[in-house]
Amino acid sequence: MDQLLQDGQEVHLVASGISCVVERLLGAGGQGEVYEARLESRPVALKWYYSQAPDKDRQQAEVLMSLIKRGAPDKRFLWPMDLATCGDPPGFGYVMPLRESRFHSIVDLMKSRVDPSIRALATAGFDLAESYLNLHSHGLCYRDISFGNAFLDPDSGDVRICDCDNVTVNGDTNVSVLGTPRFMAPEIVRGDAYPSTQTDLWSLAVLLFYFFHTGHPLEGQMEANIKCLDLKAMNWLYGDKPVFVFDPQDASNRPVPGYHDSVLQSWPTYPLFLRNLFTKAFTDGVRDPQNGRVRESEWRQAMIRLRDSILLCGGCKAENFYDVDAMKASGGQAPPCWSCKAQLRLPFRMKIGSSIVMLNYDTKLYPHHIDDSKLYDFSVPAAEITRHPSDPKVWGLKNLTQEKWVSTGPDGTVKDVPPGRSVTLASGTKVNFGKNQAEIRY
Amino acid sequence: MAKRPGGELATRPLHFIWICDCSGSMSVDGKIQALNNAIREALPHMAKVADENPNAEVLVRAVKFSSGATWHVSQPTPVAAFKWTDLATEGETAMGKALSLVAEQMQIPPMSDRALPPVLVLLSDGQPTDDFAAGLRALMDLPWGKKAVRVSIAIGQDADLDVLQKFIGHTERKPLQANRPEDLVRCIKWVSTAVLTAASRPASQVKGAAPLADNVPIPAPPAMAAPPSGAVQGGNVCRIHGEPEPCKICVW
Ligand SMILES: Nc1ncnc2c1ncn2[C@@H]1O[C@H](COP(=O)(O)OP(=O)(O)OP(=O)(O)O)[C@@H](O)[C@H]1O
Ligand SMILES: [Mg+2]
Ligand SMILES: [Zn+2]
Repeated sequence: MDQLLQDGQEVHLVASGISCVVERLLGAGGQGEVYEARLESRPVALKWYYSQAPDKDRQQAEVLMSLIKRGAPDKRFLWPMDLATCGDPPGFGYVMPLRESRFHSIVDLMKSRVDPSIRALATAGFDLAESYLNLHSHGLCYRDISFGNAFLDPDSGDVRICDCDNVTVNGDTNVSVLGTPRFMAPEIVRGDAYPSTQTDLWSLAVLLFYFFHTGHPLEGQMEANIKCLDLKAMNWLYGDKPVFVFDPQDASNRPVPGYHDSVLQSWPTYPLFLRNLFTKAFTDGVRDPQNGRVRESEWRQAMIRLRDSILLCGGCKAENFYDVDAMKASGGQAPPCWSCKAQLRLPFRMKIGSSIVMLNYDTKLYPHHIDDSKLYDFSVPAAEITRHPSDPKVWGLKNLTQEKWVSTGPDGTVKDVPPGRSVTLASGTKVNFGKNQAEIRY
Repeated sequence: MAKRPGGELATRPLHFIWICDCSGSMSVDGKIQALNNAIREALPHMAKVADENPNAEVLVRAVKFSSGATWHVSQPTPVAAFKWTDLATEGETAMGKALSLVAEQMQIPPMSDRALPPVLVLLSDGQPTDDFAAGLRALMDLPWGKKAVRVSIAIGQDADLDVLQKFIGHTERKPLQANRPEDLVRCIKWVSTAVLTAASRPASQVKGAAPLADNVPIPAPPAMAAPPSGAVQGGNVCRIHGEPEPCKICVW
């Protein structure tokens, strides 16, 4: 039907001076249309704006030019690369990297059309937190963290963030985008604040809650009582009376069986440290938007810890969690598997500094595990669990680095573990990775 | 086996009802054909918008009215499964009867007591020949009738804008006027995408904005009768630099 640009049409890129050819319409949003286009031989995405008032257009173009000049704060943002113009039809847009087809929208996750593992989701949560950390550390604010703007690869947990044309310097109140309903911080919903880094933190927490619990942190009894969920009701629920569904001090808004089943099922299966962080985000985070919200670095750490605490059920292979706090409370007993209800058995695990990593048959360690000073990087494992080639009962930790490790057995014998070799998993064995020291436990 | 605890996101139903004029006058100038075509044209876009909406379960129905009024599609149907059968014309314009029919379905039950605001779209090219006021009253006496987002579309010049305005219920929004088949396509696409989205995900209002006459804010309707190519609002000025076109800063 109507589309702003025609397939095959050329648009002109302002900074690079080259032109780019429109190939096909990918989709349309509230502000414009997005096309797949070809820039020399490279596929790119081209966003073209609906016409607005001339001063609004100029304002949008100025925002874009400053974003282009600044460059992407993180490679996961599909950041504007160059401004695009065209004489006929008159108008403008920008080119950005094209999202590859392996990425799916969060809507697909909400509708169970993709089924990532918990490890992949934790990785995606980590990626999101780190992307926004990098954006915020440049003094920028995203304004519209929501279902429509984040995409994940359900296999790897990689993420991409699009719709970066609303990004501005934090504190700029001159932009019309307030955010998306259900994701906006209560103070924006009430009209008391404009989007800022602090309100981005709220939206990020909401998105992460949706990730793991497939529900909204404020939708409980109060939502169930609402008949017509219109703007007035939404302003009340998400703005005037925000009560976390698991607020330990206020039980008035608990999830309701029949309406909020997903949240009711998933909440108790996650470890206490993660539940505590969500609780802080939606209790202190409501009361004190300036200092009560969970920072991206805290989410990042929690996502790493969640990955490390995954333990596979021996029966059904479902991902469960090692939850020290819960086990202490139940006298050292592991809980039953959330999926098949069989009693869980703890695998070998490794204590590295203050963190504990479950050693499942498929566990890998990454650079940050063996050296605190290393950045998080899940593309190059530093170690992996292996099975002894001739004795399948024996498991080991294989050295995938270029450096030699040193192990100390439970009896005190010291041995080298050169690159490519494995140290047998035995309770009490210590491994010195060079920088970090670890102990295997069972 | 599910890989993760929990399930799909909970949704609320969003009822969407077409209320279509099939009176004799709709057979003139191909109006009924244009209406059938416009709805068919809009359905895939509507399905996409519904598919991308995690919070709403969009359910569509249609009422037709001529000498009487009857359900054209009586079962609330998910958009993806919604099939359009062409409407044919005959007789008079029982618009009041059509609204009473809709009102019956806005009662609880059959309506559930929890839902998103329903969207009711009234399309007509003429004057009601029955008791319009009684039908409207029956609808507006019900909570779901009052809460509904009511949109009306005037097909052609002879439509009764006054009753279409009364259907909306306030004067801050006007009936859409589709004088040409292309306009009708635009209007129908707009209600079935932009209005549909707004009903489940209303845009928030900036502080100090005037209170809404509707219970969700409705986005601006599409421009009718597209301006001839080149003549964009604001004159022939570069939209980035404000220079006269061809802009020397953009293209050199
Ligand atoms: N870089 C990209 N690669 C591929 N598809 C993209 C890209 N950017 C946006 N899209 C798709 O294009 C469509 C419209 O984009 P987008 O939602 O950003 O538009 P918008 O007008 O800003 O909408 P909104 O009102 O939601 O902000 C969406 O389906 C989106 O997934
Ligand atoms: Mg946008
Ligand atoms: Zn199990």
